Amino acid sequence: MDEQDFIQNLLDPKTQNTAFQQLLKEYQRPLYSLIRNIVLNHDDADDVLQNTFVKVFQNLKNFKGESKLFSWMYRIATNEAITFINKKAKRNGITSEALQSKIVDNLKADDYFDGDLIQIKLQKAIALLPQKQQLVFKMRYFDEIKYEDMSEILGTSVGALKASYHHAVKKIEIYMTSN
Amino acid sequence: MKAFKLDKKPKINSGFKVPDAYFENLESSILQKISTKETPVFTLFTKRNWLLATAAVFVIALSIPLVNQMTTSTSTVDEVQLENYLCEQSNLSEDDIVELLDEEKIEKIKLDLNVDSNELEDALLTNSNLEDDIIN
Repeated sequence: MDEQDFIQNLLDPKTQNTAFQQLLKEYQRPLYSLIRNIVLNHDDADDVLQNTFVKVFQNLKNFKGESKLFSWMYRIATNEAITFINKKAKRNGITSEALQSKIVDNLKADDYFDGDLIQIKLQKAIALLPQKQQLVFKMRYFDEIKYEDMSEILGTSVGALKASYHHAVKKIEIYMTSN
Repeated sequence: MKAFKLDKKPKINSGFKVPDAYFENLESSILQKISTKETPVFTLFTKRNWLLATAAVFVIALSIPLVNQMTTSTSTVDEVQLENYLCEQSNLSEDDIVELLDEEKIEKIKLDLNVDSNELEDALLTNSNLEDDIIN
């Protein structure tokens, strides 16, 4: 089905429920992964993911089709996750990067994390990066989102994204070598 | 120490797990959330509403003298109308009336009754209740 037809089905009250269920099935896993990589903890990821889908549903009528449906949804998910992290950091009176480091330090105790030492080390290295570099690195390395799509999602040029990723990789490699 | 190179290593995955059956239950909880949120709730205390409320207070305050002027100019009601109104609509209690009456007004409404003493006696004789009233 063509994307425009699918959007029409999402807007039409008669076909809306089936279409939305289809949307959920298709996107719940990739969006969960994107959000989980940003917020790190399962319960937080669950909250953010549910809010993302509610927002998608509520704003569908305003979706102009200027971007692809998937990048529009990824944009909402990313914004929700970043807003969530920033709010949580503010409540704790620390920066979002400090919050990330704190969560990573507790990852070993997380029931829904089964990473080994190298995975924890990688998460620690990522947590030390500036927020934008963290985001670009996670989207590229873990979620394998193409630069062109990422550019549409984040509203940043491909060149700037590549540069961010490159800086992130360099810093992570330095951290991993010296620790 | 050997330099760590990300692209030379096998890909490191994030290590995050998802609780069992999480995605199976997710759909129903999202659909439930959507159905409860479909009637949007508007908060009263938005910036815009505060602004409107302040503006409304100013408009009302500024119009008070105007309204006053208008009401005083139309307040001449003719006596007959007033009396009719009081007869039909008034919920004045007896106490209210007593409050409004002074000696002079009471004098005015005193009726000049010429009661013949025999008639009075007859009335008292035939109506024993009246006698009780007088004694009390």
